[in-house]
Amino acid sequence: MTLVQVRLPPDATLDDALRLLGLTADDADAAFGLVAVAPGRYVLRVTGGAAGRVDPDVAEVFSDPRIEPQEPG
Amino acid sequence: MRVLIQLRPAPDVVASVIDPGVRSTVADVVTELPGVLLDQGFTPVPVPRPVSADGAPLSLNQRVQFSLAPEDASVLVRGEIPDTELSTRSVLLSSSVREVTGLFADPAIERHVTCGGDGPVGDWEAVRRLLHVHDLWAAGYDGEGVSIAVVDTGINADHVAARIGHDVAVDEARSWSPPGLAKTPGRHPVGHGSMCAFDALIAAPKATLLDIPVLLTRESTIAGLLSDAIAAYAHLNGVIQAMPDDSRSLVVTNSWGLFSPDTDFPPGHPGNYSDNPAHPFNVIVGSLEGAGADILFSAGNCGRECPDRRCGYSDRSIVGANSHPRVLSVGGVDTRGERVGYSSQGPGRLSERKPDLCAYTHFAGSEATGAADTGTSAACPVAAGVVAAVRTQRTAGELSPSQLRTLLHRTADDRSTVGFDHDYGYGVIDPPAVVAALARQNRTRAA
Repeated sequence: MTLVQVRLPPDATLDDALRLLGLTADDADAAFGLVAVAPGRYVLRVTGGAAGRVDPDVAEVFSDPRIEPQEPG
Repeated sequence: MRVLIQLRPAPDVVASVIDPGVRSTVADVVTELPGVLLDQGFTPVPVPRPVSADGAPLSLNQRVQFSLAPEDASVLVRGEIPDTELSTRSVLLSSSVREVTGLFADPAIERHVTCGGDGPVGDWEAVRRLLHVHDLWAAGYDGEGVSIAVVDTGINADHVAARIGHDVAVDEARSWSPPGLAKTPGRHPVGHGSMCAFDALIAAPKATLLDIPVLLTRESTIAGLLSDAIAAYAHLNGVIQAMPDDSRSLVVTNSWGLFSPDTDFPPGHPGNYSDNPAHPFNVIVGSLEGAGADILFSAGNCGRECPDRRCGYSDRSIVGANSHPRVLSVGGVDTRGERVGYSSQGPGRLSERKPDLCAYTHFAGSEATGAADTGTSAACPVAAGVVAAVRTQRTAGELSPSQLRTLLHRTADDRSTVGFDHDYGYGVIDPPAVVAALARQNRTRAA
Protein backbone atom coordinates (compact mmCIF):
# COMPACT_ATOMS: atom_id res chain seq x y z
CA MET A 1 0.00 0.00 0.00
CA THR A 2 1.14 3.53 -0.73
CA LEU A 3 0.13 6.81 0.86
CA VAL A 4 -1.54 9.32 -1.47
CA GLN A 5 -2.53 12.87 -0.59
CA VAL A 6 -5.38 14.69 -2.31
CA ARG A 7 -7.04 18.10 -1.94
CA LEU A 8 -10.79 17.96 -1.47
CA PRO A 9 -13.50 20.13 0.07
CA PRO A 10 -14.62 19.64 3.71
CA ASP A 11 -16.53 16.44 4.54
CA ALA A 12 -15.14 14.62 1.51
CA THR A 13 -15.46 10.82 1.43
CA LEU A 14 -13.27 7.99 0.19
CA ASP A 15 -15.55 7.69 -2.82
CA ASP A 16 -14.91 11.36 -3.62
CA ALA A 17 -11.16 10.74 -3.50
CA LEU A 18 -11.36 7.62 -5.67
CA ARG A 19 -13.46 9.49 -8.21
CA LEU A 20 -10.93 12.32 -8.31
CA LEU A 21 -8.09 9.85 -8.79
CA GLY A 22 -9.92 7.67 -11.33
CA LEU A 23 -9.52 4.59 -9.11
CA THR A 24 -11.93 1.91 -7.91
CA ALA A 25 -12.75 0.66 -4.41
CA ASP A 26 -10.49 -2.35 -4.98
CA ASP A 27 -7.52 -0.02 -5.38
CA ALA A 28 -7.85 1.47 -1.87
CA ASP A 29 -7.61 0.36 1.76
CA ALA A 30 -11.24 0.83 2.83
CA ALA A 31 -10.45 0.14 6.50
CA PHE A 32 -8.04 3.07 6.53
CA GLY A 33 -10.53 5.21 4.66
CA LEU A 34 -9.94 8.88 3.91
CA VAL A 35 -8.10 10.73 6.68
CA ALA A 36 -7.98 14.53 7.04
CA VAL A 37 -4.49 15.82 7.84
CA ALA A 38 -5.23 19.55 7.53
CA PRO A 39 -8.11 21.62 6.19
CA GLY A 40 -8.65 20.56 2.56
CA ARG A 41 -5.89 17.93 2.67
CA TYR A 42 -6.66 14.20 2.92
CA VAL A 43 -4.69 10.96 2.65
CA LEU A 44 -5.69 7.46 1.62
CA ARG A 45 -3.83 4.18 1.14
CA VAL A 46 -3.84 2.66 -2.33
CA THR A 47 -2.09 -0.31 -3.91
CA GLY A 48 1.32 0.23 -5.45
CA GLY A 49 -0.13 -0.34 -8.92
CA ALA A 50 -2.85 2.23 -8.36
CA ALA A 51 -0.32 4.75 -7.05
CA GLY A 52 1.52 4.38 -10.32
CA ARG A 53 -1.62 5.40 -12.22
CA VAL A 54 -2.24 8.54 -10.16
CA ASP A 55 -1.98 11.81 -12.06
CA PRO A 56 0.78 13.85 -10.31
CA ASP A 57 -1.19 17.03 -11.01
CA VAL A 58 -4.08 15.67 -8.93
CA ALA A 59 -2.36 13.88 -6.03
CA GLU A 60 0.99 13.47 -4.31
CA VAL A 61 2.53 10.12 -3.38
CA PHE A 62 4.35 9.86 -0.05
CA SER A 63 6.36 7.19 1.74
CA ASP A 64 4.66 5.11 4.43
CA PRO A 65 7.68 3.83 6.37
CA ARG A 66 7.72 1.29 9.16
CA ILE A 67 7.79 2.78 12.69
CA GLU A 68 9.05 1.05 15.84
CA PRO A 69 9.31 1.63 19.58
CA GLN A 70 12.51 3.39 20.63
CA GLU A 71 13.88 1.06 23.25
CA PRO A 72 17.54 0.08 22.92
CA GLY A 73 18.05 -3.09 20.95
CA MET B 1 44.71 21.17 22.40
CA ARG B 2 45.08 20.63 26.09
CA VAL B 3 48.61 19.60 27.07
CA LEU B 4 50.68 18.57 30.06
CA ILE B 5 54.12 20.16 30.24
CA GLN B 6 56.88 18.40 32.13
CA LEU B 7 59.48 20.78 33.63
CA ARG B 8 62.66 20.31 35.53
CA PRO B 9 63.23 23.57 37.39
CA ALA B 10 65.90 24.25 40.02
CA PRO B 11 65.97 21.66 42.86
CA ASP B 12 64.80 24.24 45.45
CA VAL B 13 61.68 24.91 43.34
CA VAL B 14 61.02 21.17 43.00
CA ALA B 15 61.49 20.81 46.76
CA SER B 16 58.78 23.41 47.36
CA VAL B 17 56.39 21.60 45.04
CA ILE B 18 57.10 18.31 46.82
CA ASP B 19 56.72 19.84 50.31
CA PRO B 20 53.11 19.15 51.45
CA GLY B 21 53.33 22.15 53.79
CA VAL B 22 53.86 24.55 50.88
CA ARG B 23 51.08 25.43 48.44
CA SER B 24 52.93 26.04 45.20
CA THR B 25 51.40 27.73 42.19
CA VAL B 26 52.20 27.56 38.50
CA ALA B 27 53.85 30.99 38.76
CA ASP B 28 56.29 29.57 41.36
CA VAL B 29 57.44 27.01 38.79
CA VAL B 30 57.34 28.89 35.52
CA THR B 31 56.33 32.45 34.69
CA GLU B 32 55.45 31.86 31.08
CA LEU B 33 55.93 29.46 28.19
CA PRO B 34 55.80 30.95 24.67
CA GLY B 35 52.57 30.04 22.88
CA VAL B 36 51.11 28.16 25.84
CA LEU B 37 48.09 29.39 27.77
CA LEU B 38 49.03 28.08 31.20
CA ASP B 39 46.25 26.91 33.53
CA GLN B 40 47.01 29.00 36.61
CA GLY B 41 44.37 27.15 38.63
CA PHE B 42 46.16 23.83 38.32
CA THR B 43 48.40 22.91 41.25
CA PRO B 44 51.82 21.76 39.97
CA VAL B 45 52.35 18.02 40.45
CA PRO B 46 55.73 16.51 41.33
CA VAL B 47 56.62 13.45 39.26
CA PRO B 48 59.24 10.97 40.55
CA ARG B 49 62.05 9.93 38.24
CA PRO B 50 62.44 6.25 37.42
CA VAL B 51 65.95 5.09 38.16
CA SER B 52 67.71 1.77 37.83
CA ALA B 53 69.83 0.65 40.70
CA ASP B 54 72.78 -0.53 38.61
CA GLY B 55 72.69 2.03 35.82
CA ALA B 56 71.17 -0.41 33.30
CA PRO B 57 68.72 0.96 30.71
CA LEU B 58 65.23 1.49 32.11
CA SER B 59 62.57 -1.05 31.31
CA LEU B 60 59.09 -1.25 32.79
CA ASN B 61 59.39 -5.03 32.45
CA GLN B 62 62.00 -4.98 35.21
CA ARG B 63 61.73 -3.82 38.77
CA VAL B 64 62.04 -0.02 38.68
CA GLN B 65 62.76 2.35 41.51
CA PHE B 66 61.49 5.92 41.63
CA SER B 67 63.25 8.93 43.09
CA LEU B 68 61.39 11.93 44.39
CA ALA B 69 64.60 13.69 45.41
CA PRO B 70 64.48 17.37 44.30
CA GLU B 71 67.47 16.91 42.02
CA ASP B 72 65.75 13.96 40.26
CA ALA B 73 62.03 14.77 40.25
CA SER B 74 60.23 16.88 37.67
CA VAL B 75 57.05 18.96 37.83
CA LEU B 76 53.91 18.83 35.67
CA VAL B 77 51.85 21.89 34.80
CA ARG B 78 49.06 22.05 32.26
CA GLY B 79 47.85 24.44 29.58
CA GLU B 80 46.48 24.81 26.11
CA ILE B 81 48.14 25.26 22.72
CA PRO B 82 46.13 26.34 19.65
CA ASP B 83 45.62 23.31 17.38
CA THR B 84 47.15 25.21 14.46
CA GLU B 85 50.43 25.78 16.35
CA LEU B 86 50.75 22.39 17.97
CA SER B 87 53.46 20.84 15.82
CA THR B 88 55.61 24.00 15.80
CA ARG B 89 55.26 24.65 19.50
CA SER B 90 56.00 21.09 20.51
CA VAL B 91 59.38 21.35 18.78
CA LEU B 92 60.19 24.92 19.82
CA LEU B 93 59.28 24.58 23.47
CA SER B 94 61.80 21.94 24.40
CA SER B 95 64.56 23.65 22.41
CA SER B 96 63.89 27.22 23.56
CA VAL B 97 63.01 26.67 27.22
CA ARG B 98 65.66 24.78 29.09
CA GLU B 99 63.35 23.57 31.86
CA VAL B 100 60.89 21.88 29.50
CA THR B 101 61.60 18.16 29.30
CA GLY B 102 58.38 16.89 27.80
CA LEU B 103 55.05 17.80 26.24
CA PHE B 104 52.14 15.36 26.46
CA ALA B 105 48.51 15.20 25.45
CA ASP B 106 45.98 15.81 28.22
CA PRO B 107 42.89 14.10 26.81
CA ALA B 108 39.44 14.40 28.35
CA ILE B 109 38.61 11.38 30.47
CA GLU B 110 35.01 10.44 31.00
CA ARG B 111 33.07 7.98 33.10
CA HIS B 112 31.59 4.98 31.36
CA VAL B 113 28.28 5.99 29.83
CA THR B 114 25.11 3.99 30.36
CA CYS B 115 24.31 1.77 27.38
CA GLY B 116 21.37 -0.37 26.34
CA GLY B 117 22.49 -3.61 27.94
CA ASP B 118 23.43 -2.09 31.28
CA GLY B 119 21.34 -2.66 34.39
CA PRO B 120 19.10 0.05 35.84
CA VAL B 121 20.69 3.21 37.23
CA GLY B 122 18.49 4.09 40.20
CA ASP B 123 14.76 3.57 40.36
CA TRP B 124 11.56 5.48 39.69
CA GLU B 125 11.42 6.76 43.26
CA ALA B 126 14.78 8.42 42.56
CA VAL B 127 13.23 9.96 39.44
CA ARG B 128 10.38 11.31 41.57
CA ARG B 129 12.92 12.87 43.92
CA LEU B 130 14.92 14.37 41.04
CA LEU B 131 11.75 15.86 39.58
CA HIS B 132 10.69 17.15 43.03
CA VAL B 133 7.21 15.79 42.35
CA HIS B 134 6.01 16.21 45.94
CA ASP B 135 6.65 19.96 45.63
CA LEU B 136 4.82 19.94 42.28
CA TRP B 137 1.80 18.17 43.73
CA ALA B 138 1.77 20.42 46.81
CA ALA B 139 1.52 23.38 44.44
CA GLY B 140 -1.40 21.72 42.64
CA TYR B 141 0.50 20.43 39.60
CA ASP B 142 -0.57 16.77 39.56
CA GLY B 143 -2.19 16.22 36.16
CA GLU B 144 -5.79 16.42 37.40
CA GLY B 145 -8.10 17.07 34.44
CA VAL B 146 -5.29 16.67 31.88
CA SER B 147 -5.32 13.96 29.18
CA ILE B 148 -2.15 12.17 28.14
CA ALA B 149 -2.41 10.26 24.87
CA VAL B 150 0.07 7.38 24.92
CA VAL B 151 0.75 6.64 21.26
CA ASP B 152 2.43 3.26 21.48
CA THR B 153 1.76 -0.50 21.77
CA GLY B 154 -1.25 -0.22 24.08
CA ILE B 155 -1.60 0.05 27.86
CA ASN B 156 -2.27 -2.56 30.49
CA ALA B 157 -3.86 -0.43 33.20
CA ASP B 158 -3.94 -3.19 35.84
CA HIS B 159 -0.18 -3.69 35.55
CA VAL B 160 0.53 0.04 35.67
CA ALA B 161 -1.75 0.50 38.69
CA ALA B 162 -0.14 -2.40 40.55
CA ARG B 163 3.35 -1.04 39.94
CA ILE B 164 2.64 2.61 40.68
CA GLY B 165 0.40 1.97 43.67
CA HIS B 166 -2.75 3.86 42.76
CA ASP B 167 -5.69 3.68 40.36
CA VAL B 168 -5.03 4.54 36.73
CA ALA B 169 -7.70 6.32 34.71
CA VAL B 170 -8.01 5.31 31.04
CA ASP B 171 -10.63 7.17 29.02
CA GLU B 172 -12.12 4.44 26.85
CA ALA B 173 -14.36 6.70 24.81
CA ARG B 174 -11.54 8.98 23.69
CA SER B 175 -9.03 6.16 23.16
CA TRP B 176 -8.49 4.78 19.67
CA SER B 177 -7.88 1.53 17.99
CA PRO B 178 -6.63 0.80 14.49
CA PRO B 179 -8.95 -0.72 11.89
CA GLY B 180 -9.17 -4.47 12.28
CA LEU B 181 -8.12 -4.50 15.94
CA ALA B 182 -10.71 -4.87 18.71
CA LYS B 183 -10.93 -1.75 20.84
CA THR B 184 -9.72 -2.75 24.29
CA PRO B 185 -8.20 0.38 25.80
CA GLY B 186 -6.22 -0.27 28.98
CA ARG B 187 -6.41 -4.04 28.50
CA HIS B 188 -3.53 -4.69 26.13
CA PRO B 189 -0.66 -7.10 26.84
CA VAL B 190 1.96 -5.69 29.21
CA GLY B 191 4.76 -4.16 27.17
CA HIS B 192 6.33 -0.97 25.87
CA GLY B 193 3.06 1.02 26.00
CA SER B 194 2.56 0.13 29.67
CA MET B 195 6.09 1.33 30.39
CA CYS B 196 5.30 4.66 28.72
CA ALA B 197 2.03 5.01 30.66
CA PHE B 198 3.78 4.27 33.96
CA ASP B 199 6.56 6.76 33.25
CA ALA B 200 4.08 9.49 32.31
CA LEU B 201 2.31 9.05 35.64
CA ILE B 202 5.51 9.52 37.67
CA ALA B 203 5.01 13.30 37.66
CA ALA B 204 1.29 13.46 36.81
CA PRO B 205 -0.47 10.69 38.79
CA LYS B 206 -3.94 12.18 38.37
CA ALA B 207 -3.80 12.55 34.60
CA THR B 208 -6.25 10.59 32.43
CA LEU B 209 -4.69 8.29 29.85
CA LEU B 210 -5.86 7.87 26.27
CA ASP B 211 -4.72 4.53 24.85
CA ILE B 212 -3.58 4.93 21.23
CA PRO B 213 -1.96 1.61 20.14
CA VAL B 214 -0.56 2.50 16.72
CA LEU B 215 2.30 0.03 17.08
CA LEU B 216 -0.07 -2.94 17.32
CA THR B 217 -1.33 -2.54 13.81
CA ARG B 218 1.03 -4.92 12.06
CA GLU B 219 0.27 -8.58 12.58
CA SER B 220 2.80 -10.52 14.68
CA THR B 221 5.19 -7.59 15.16
CA ILE B 222 5.44 -4.67 17.53
CA ALA B 223 5.58 -2.09 14.77
CA GLY B 224 3.31 -0.04 12.60
CA LEU B 225 3.25 2.11 9.54
CA LEU B 226 3.36 5.86 9.57
CA SER B 227 -0.09 5.93 8.00
CA ASP B 228 -1.40 4.26 11.18
CA ALA B 229 -0.03 7.21 13.13
CA ILE B 230 -1.71 9.61 10.69
CA ALA B 231 -5.06 7.93 11.39
CA ALA B 232 -4.42 8.11 15.15
CA TYR B 233 -3.49 11.80 14.95
CA ALA B 234 -6.67 12.52 12.99
CA HIS B 235 -8.57 10.95 15.90
CA LEU B 236 -6.63 13.11 18.40
CA ASN B 237 -7.45 16.19 16.33
CA GLY B 238 -11.10 15.32 16.87
CA VAL B 239 -10.47 14.84 20.60
CA ILE B 240 -8.90 18.27 21.05
CA GLN B 241 -11.40 20.04 18.80
CA ALA B 242 -14.14 18.70 21.08
CA MET B 243 -12.55 20.41 24.11
CA PRO B 244 -13.74 23.95 24.91
CA ASP B 245 -11.19 26.52 23.78
CA ASP B 246 -10.52 27.74 27.32
CA SER B 247 -9.82 24.31 28.81
CA ARG B 248 -7.76 22.51 26.18
CA SER B 249 -5.06 20.31 27.66
CA LEU B 250 -3.90 17.30 25.68
CA VAL B 251 -0.38 15.93 25.98
CA VAL B 252 0.72 13.43 23.31
CA THR B 253 3.69 11.20 24.09
CA ASN B 254 5.41 9.32 21.25
CA SER B 255 8.21 6.88 22.04
CA TRP B 256 8.70 5.57 18.53
CA GLY B 257 10.25 6.54 15.25
CA LEU B 258 12.00 5.50 12.10
CA PHE B 259 15.28 3.64 12.59
CA SER B 260 16.32 3.21 9.00
CA PRO B 261 15.84 4.96 5.67
CA ASP B 262 15.14 1.59 4.01
CA THR B 263 11.34 1.99 3.90
CA ASP B 264 11.36 5.75 3.18
CA PHE B 265 11.85 7.62 -0.06
CA PRO B 266 15.33 9.22 -0.15
CA PRO B 267 15.83 12.80 1.09
CA GLY B 268 15.12 15.18 -1.74
CA HIS B 269 12.31 12.99 -3.15
CA PRO B 270 9.00 14.89 -2.84
CA GLY B 271 7.41 11.90 -1.07
CA ASN B 272 10.17 11.54 1.53
CA TYR B 273 9.32 11.57 5.26
CA SER B 274 12.59 11.94 7.19
CA ASP B 275 13.59 15.37 5.86
CA ASN B 276 10.30 16.66 4.46
CA PRO B 277 8.01 19.00 6.41
CA ALA B 278 5.37 18.53 3.68
CA HIS B 279 4.91 14.80 4.44
CA PRO B 280 1.30 14.29 5.61
CA PHE B 281 2.39 13.03 9.03
CA ASN B 282 4.57 16.11 9.59
CA VAL B 283 1.65 18.26 8.44
CA ILE B 284 -0.82 16.64 10.84
CA VAL B 285 1.67 16.97 13.71
CA GLY B 286 1.80 20.71 13.07
CA SER B 287 -1.99 20.81 12.79
CA LEU B 288 -2.52 19.02 16.13
CA GLU B 289 0.00 21.30 17.86
CA GLY B 290 -1.71 24.30 16.36
CA ALA B 291 -4.97 23.12 17.89
CA GLY B 292 -3.34 23.22 21.33
CA ALA B 293 -1.77 19.80 21.91
CA ASP B 294 1.65 19.43 23.53
CA ILE B 295 3.44 16.83 21.44
CA LEU B 296 6.54 15.06 22.68
CA PHE B 297 8.74 12.66 20.75
CA SER B 298 11.66 10.55 21.89
CA ALA B 299 14.86 11.78 20.24
CA GLY B 300 15.89 8.23 19.38
CA ASN B 301 18.45 5.64 20.43
CA CYS B 302 21.18 6.23 17.87
CA GLY B 303 23.63 8.09 20.14
CA ARG B 304 27.28 8.03 19.17
CA GLU B 305 28.59 5.91 22.05
CA CYS B 306 26.24 2.94 21.84
CA PRO B 307 23.64 3.18 19.08
CA ASP B 308 20.79 0.69 18.69
CA ARG B 309 21.74 -2.07 16.24
CA ARG B 310 18.82 -1.02 14.00
CA CYS B 311 20.15 2.53 13.44
CA GLY B 312 20.55 3.06 9.73
CA TYR B 313 21.26 6.78 9.42
CA SER B 314 24.95 7.63 9.22
CA ASP B 315 24.30 11.13 10.57
CA ARG B 316 21.43 13.30 11.81
CA SER B 317 19.58 10.37 13.35
CA ILE B 318 16.75 12.51 14.79
CA VAL B 319 14.44 12.25 11.80
CA GLY B 320 10.95 13.17 10.68
CA ALA B 321 8.48 14.22 13.37
CA ASN B 322 10.99 13.33 16.09
CA SER B 323 12.81 16.46 14.88
CA HIS B 324 9.70 18.54 14.11
CA PRO B 325 10.06 22.22 15.15
CA ARG B 326 6.64 22.12 16.85
CA VAL B 327 7.31 19.12 19.11
CA LEU B 328 9.49 18.65 22.16
CA SER B 329 12.22 16.13 21.26
CA VAL B 330 13.41 14.38 24.39
CA GLY B 331 16.85 12.86 24.92
CA GLY B 332 17.78 10.68 27.89
CA VAL B 333 19.91 11.06 31.00
CA ASP B 334 20.34 8.51 33.77
CA THR B 335 19.56 9.30 37.40
CA ARG B 336 23.14 10.60 37.81
CA GLY B 337 22.27 13.30 35.29
CA GLU B 338 24.62 11.87 32.64
CA ARG B 339 23.43 11.49 29.06
CA VAL B 340 22.94 7.81 28.25
CA GLY B 341 25.21 6.70 25.42
CA TYR B 342 22.38 5.67 23.12
CA SER B 343 20.49 8.98 23.30
CA SER B 344 20.48 10.47 19.79
CA GLN B 345 22.36 13.71 19.24
CA GLY B 346 21.34 16.59 17.07
CA PRO B 347 21.07 18.40 14.82
CA GLY B 348 17.68 17.13 13.71
CA ARG B 349 16.59 16.76 10.11
CA LEU B 350 13.50 18.98 10.22
CA SER B 351 14.91 21.36 12.83
CA GLU B 352 18.54 22.00 13.73
CA ARG B 353 18.07 22.56 17.47
CA LYS B 354 17.29 19.02 18.55
CA PRO B 355 16.98 17.41 21.02
CA ASP B 356 15.09 20.13 22.89
CA LEU B 357 15.98 18.77 26.33
CA CYS B 358 16.63 15.59 28.28
CA ALA B 359 14.65 13.67 30.88
CA TYR B 360 15.41 10.64 33.03
CA THR B 361 15.61 7.10 31.69
CA HIS B 362 17.24 3.74 32.37
CA PHE B 363 15.76 3.33 35.87
CA ALA B 364 13.96 0.44 37.55
CA GLY B 365 10.31 1.30 37.17
CA SER B 366 7.38 -0.30 35.40
CA GLU B 367 8.86 -3.81 34.98
CA ALA B 368 6.87 -3.88 31.75
CA THR B 369 9.80 -4.49 29.43
CA GLY B 370 12.53 -5.78 31.74
CA ALA B 371 14.51 -4.66 34.76
CA ALA B 372 14.84 -1.07 33.54
CA ASP B 373 12.65 1.44 31.76
CA THR B 374 15.12 2.29 29.05
CA GLY B 375 15.68 4.27 25.90
CA THR B 376 14.58 7.73 25.03
CA SER B 377 11.32 5.73 25.02
CA ALA B 378 11.23 6.16 28.80
CA ALA B 379 12.62 9.71 28.87
CA CYS B 380 9.83 10.98 26.60
CA PRO B 381 6.86 10.02 28.83
CA VAL B 382 8.75 11.17 31.93
CA ALA B 383 8.91 14.62 30.31
CA ALA B 384 5.28 14.26 29.12
CA GLY B 385 4.26 13.74 32.75
CA VAL B 386 5.95 16.99 33.72
CA VAL B 387 4.17 18.80 30.87
CA ALA B 388 0.85 17.29 31.98
CA ALA B 389 1.53 18.41 35.55
CA VAL B 390 2.10 21.98 34.32
CA ARG B 391 -1.10 21.81 32.27
CA THR B 392 -3.09 21.16 35.47
CA GLN B 393 -3.05 24.90 36.07
CA ARG B 394 -2.25 26.32 32.64
CA THR B 395 -4.44 25.32 29.71
CA ALA B 396 -3.26 25.71 26.14
CA GLY B 397 -5.47 28.80 25.94
CA GLU B 398 -3.43 30.43 28.70
CA LEU B 399 -0.01 29.12 27.69
CA SER B 400 0.31 27.87 24.12
CA PRO B 401 2.32 24.72 23.36
CA SER B 402 4.99 26.93 21.78
CA GLN B 403 5.18 29.15 24.88
CA LEU B 404 5.39 26.10 27.12
CA ARG B 405 8.26 24.67 25.06
CA THR B 406 10.09 27.99 25.39
CA LEU B 407 9.52 27.92 29.14
CA LEU B 408 10.90 24.38 29.34
CA HIS B 409 13.94 25.41 27.29
CA ARG B 410 14.58 28.45 29.44
CA THR B 411 14.29 26.61 32.75
CA ALA B 412 16.14 23.41 31.82
CA ASP B 413 19.24 22.62 33.86
CA ASP B 414 21.99 23.46 31.36
CA ARG B 415 24.57 20.65 31.20
CA SER B 416 27.16 22.55 29.21
CA THR B 417 28.80 25.93 29.46
CA VAL B 418 27.42 27.16 26.19
CA GLY B 419 23.64 26.98 26.55
CA PHE B 420 22.08 24.78 23.88
CA ASP B 421 24.13 21.83 22.70
CA HIS B 422 23.33 18.83 20.54
CA ASP B 423 23.87 16.27 23.31
CA TYR B 424 21.54 17.62 26.01
CA GLY B 425 19.59 20.28 24.09
CA TYR B 426 18.82 23.10 26.50
CA GLY B 427 19.53 20.79 29.44
CA VAL B 428 17.71 18.44 31.80
CA ILE B 429 14.03 19.14 32.47
CA ASP B 430 13.71 20.98 35.79
CA PRO B 431 10.15 21.09 37.20
CA PRO B 432 10.93 23.31 40.23
CA ALA B 433 12.37 25.94 37.89
CA VAL B 434 9.27 25.71 35.68
CA VAL B 435 6.97 26.17 38.67
CA ALA B 436 9.05 29.09 39.95
CA ALA B 437 8.80 30.77 36.56
CA LEU B 438 5.04 30.23 36.47
CA ALA B 439 4.75 31.69 39.99
CA ARG B 440 6.65 34.79 38.83
CA GLN B 441 4.21 35.08 35.91
CA ASN B 442 1.29 34.80 38.35
CA ARG B 443 2.70 37.59 40.53
CA THR B 444 3.29 39.78 37.49
CA ARG B 445 -0.27 39.20 36.30
CA ALA B 446 -1.67 39.99 39.76
CA ALA B 447 0.34 43.20 40.12
